[in-house]
Amino acid sequence: MQEVKIQEIVQEAVEIAQKLGASQSEAFCTESRELSVEIRDQEIDTLKISEDTGLGVRILINDRMGFAFTSDLSSRAVKEAIRTAVNNAKKVSPDSNNFLPAPPDGGYKDYQIYDENIEKTPLRQKVEFAQEVERCSRAFDRRVSITESCAYQDASYKVALANSLGIGAFYKGAFCGSYAQVVAQQDGESQSGFGMQFKRNFRGLDPDALGREAAQKAIRMLGAKDISTQRAAVIFDPYIATNFLGIITPALSAESVQKGKSLLGGKLGQEVASPLVNIIDDGTLKEGLLTAPFDGEGVASQKTVLVAGGTLKSYLHNTYTAAKDGVLSTGNGIRNSFKGTPEVGTTNIYIEPGEVSRERLISEVEKGLYITQVMGMHTANPISGDFSVGVSGLWIEKGEFEQPVRGVTIAGNMIDLLRAIDGVANDLTFFVGQGAPTLRVSSMTISG
Amino acid sequence: MLDNKDFDEVLDTALSNGGDFGEIFLERKKVTGISCEANRIERISSGLDVGAGVRVISGGNTYYAYTNDLSLEGLRRVAQKVASAGKKLKGEVIYDMRRPEVRGEQYVEMRPDKVQIDNKVDIVWRANNRARSVDQRIKQVAVGYGDVIQKVFIRNSEGLYVEDERVRTRLVVNSVAVDGGVIQTGYEAAGGFCGFELFAEDFPEELAEKAARRAVSMLYAKNAPTGKMPVVVASEAGGTMVHEACGHGLEADLVQKKLSVYAGKRGEKVASELVTVIDDATLRGKYGSLRYDDEGTPGQKTVLIKDGVLQDYMFDYLRAMNEGRASTGNGRRESYQDRPIPRMTNTYISPGKHDPDTIVKETHRGLLVKKMGGGQVNTTNGDFVFEVAEGYLIENGKVGSLVKGATLTGNGPRVLSIIDMVGNDLGYAIGTCGKDGQGVAVSDAQPTIRIPELVVGGVL
Repeated sequence: MQEVKIQEIVQEAVEIAQKLGASQSEAFCTESRELSVEIRDQEIDTLKISEDTGLGVRILINDRMGFAFTSDLSSRAVKEAIRTAVNNAKKVSPDSNNFLPAPPDGGYKDYQIYDENIEKTPLRQKVEFAQEVERCSRAFDRRVSITESCAYQDASYKVALANSLGIGAFYKGAFCGSYAQVVAQQDGESQSGFGMQFKRNFRGLDPDALGREAAQKAIRMLGAKDISTQRAAVIFDPYIATNFLGIITPALSAESVQKGKSLLGGKLGQEVASPLVNIIDDGTLKEGLLTAPFDGEGVASQKTVLVAGGTLKSYLHNTYTAAKDGVLSTGNGIRNSFKGTPEVGTTNIYIEPGEVSRERLISEVEKGLYITQVMGMHTANPISGDFSVGVSGLWIEKGEFEQPVRGVTIAGNMIDLLRAIDGVANDLTFFVGQGAPTLRVSSMTISG
Repeated sequence: MLDNKDFDEVLDTALSNGGDFGEIFLERKKVTGISCEANRIERISSGLDVGAGVRVISGGNTYYAYTNDLSLEGLRRVAQKVASAGKKLKGEVIYDMRRPEVRGEQYVEMRPDKVQIDNKVDIVWRANNRARSVDQRIKQVAVGYGDVIQKVFIRNSEGLYVEDERVRTRLVVNSVAVDGGVIQTGYEAAGGFCGFELFAEDFPEELAEKAARRAVSMLYAKNAPTGKMPVVVASEAGGTMVHEACGHGLEADLVQKKLSVYAGKRGEKVASELVTVIDDATLRGKYGSLRYDDEGTPGQKTVLIKDGVLQDYMFDYLRAMNEGRASTGNGRRESYQDRPIPRMTNTYISPGKHDPDTIVKETHRGLLVKKMGGGQVNTTNGDFVFEVAEGYLIENGKVGSLVKGATLTGNGPRVLSIIDMVGNDLGYAIGTCGKDGQGVAVSDAQPTIRIPELVVGGVL
């Protein structure tokens, strides 16, 4: 399928929708290609190649918004989807805040998110990349003996959007990455370790660093023991800190706030975290995996400071929630795919790095747990902010790693956790669209 | 429309460079979703998703490609991609038409595509209104309705030919209760391998009321205790624990990769003799039921653990082929975009002999779990965790105060081997199980059971 094709499809869809009685209409079409190669014991375990296209249409009739999608792009199926969206619109509750954005005054910026080398690099080279990751993990320590998964992945995608207010926009992007989960064994015990990298260009990937990271994480957990219940300092490595950031992000959505489901509701201008904490959402971030010229409804991407010096500065908005609050959309109308409507979501969201090194944060701890793995993160409650998760990591005694620890839980509330942060390291690391540096909390309950 | 001759031509193309096995999986899925929040029907979404995946297995390695382009040309193109990646091996297509006999059946009384959208919207309103009427402190209610009609067509190089239709319907209610600065939620979900008849009588109201009542009572729950203690899991709590503690570890892909603590233990005692674990796709109307799995193998009942002894694992075609045996009908995929992998269907611990009330009475001090939330397992070492959505202290054999914030951590084989009481009841819960980025509909169940020692994590 050609670039012009999906741009034509969205324009035609909008024309048809207007003829069928829409007061406003929008069509969103994507075309993507993906590749993933999974390696085990230097052989291709699974190779997967995909091409995926689809269209989503939003129809507004008298303040009522209906939606339908189709992955069949024949003109018959497209018409059927539009008719269904029109019918759905008639059954939805009306809301005067439902409307579509107009084209932005300054147009859209180009963020150079498409590296043609990702598609052009021969498959053989990508397979070799994944093999190299596995080799490097095994070479790190001979106790690394099982590959749970070791993969190279890439994707290139095209996005076309049109609406009846005159938006007609298009962009293409690509990314590539790799991840490895390996198992180290010793005396009948097995421990796994994980590493991942995702970049906007193929040259940015480092198989050696990735393989070693996964291996090192597995090895250092060997011999993990239980500990007794106590209060102690807790350090979250960037991956775990990013997981915890994930609990708080729904609370930053204006939609959650407006529905009374956010623990940050009504707290604009108030202190919600330690003064060391700054949280940013940036859809324009250079080389960000979720950087794009515009969001899922055609609003230009921007950088939004959400928390500065511990004070809540802004919520995330799409066009609907912005209208309801009488503010401007922050460009956070996010579509996970053509199958969904643009909901308030994040672009590249991260906790800003601090000044001190990770080593420094650890060396200052008298007694505490450096957390490297967490289980049951999805059970945290984003509405109340309560979490209780299984963790494992390394026990710190007098500023040094003493002993791997597993089978313990930590519990608390996100707000208390954010307020208790007393150290932010300078090692911001991104995991696709979310990132955080190493964080330290002075004291938490650790149950064993 | 394409016919069998076309599909065989595509299979031929896929195997043109060799391969042990070739398969086409074609899918046409219609979905409807309705969501209500803030007393408004916010969204009605309908969708059509069509696509096909072509798979070649060659020397134990899998090559998979998919497309939405269902023209003969589109399918040929993906078949060529798969073929060019494959190695030179034998590869042949058997042109007969073999349709295996099913063991389970799907019973659909009211097809969701024949139900007017107004009636579906009405279900959502009924649940919303009931949840809100339960208590003044219910400040927000979100209701989600969903139905799926999935038509699949599976043809493989061994002559298998299966057409199947799966109908699933579900309703979820999430209510938020607020009192002062305290905010708590209550969640209930129900669904079946069935049609719109799921919503007979007061079903939506009952579900909504349960969710709302839990949110309100959780406002006044005390923090859960911490440390090791006896835990009684009531049958109504659902089967998250069996799913995490042993289900995943009994999936043959993890076993063959030696990523499961249950690897190489067939015939060995892995649990208390009170424990029998079964995966059964043939149960009528349960959320994880199926007639055929996503490779065309009929769903079946598989005894995984009998009286504490490990009997068998759950297999898909590839994993079965590796061992020269038959699949157990557990080869499932989320959609044409995914290759099949071994997955659970309806998994449960069989009922035992104890009276559920007696189990609580005979527990001096501990935690009673009445509702489980989500869970996760590290199959490599067997450590698992699950969330307690509704838990009570047990004091002197009596059910005491409601507690919040409890998470239970344990080790699968260790927990299964110390279970010392198994009730004569059985309770189901539904869920979407995630593995390798694929979500599939499952249900889990268990009787009331007692675990003499489990780590309870709360706030100190």
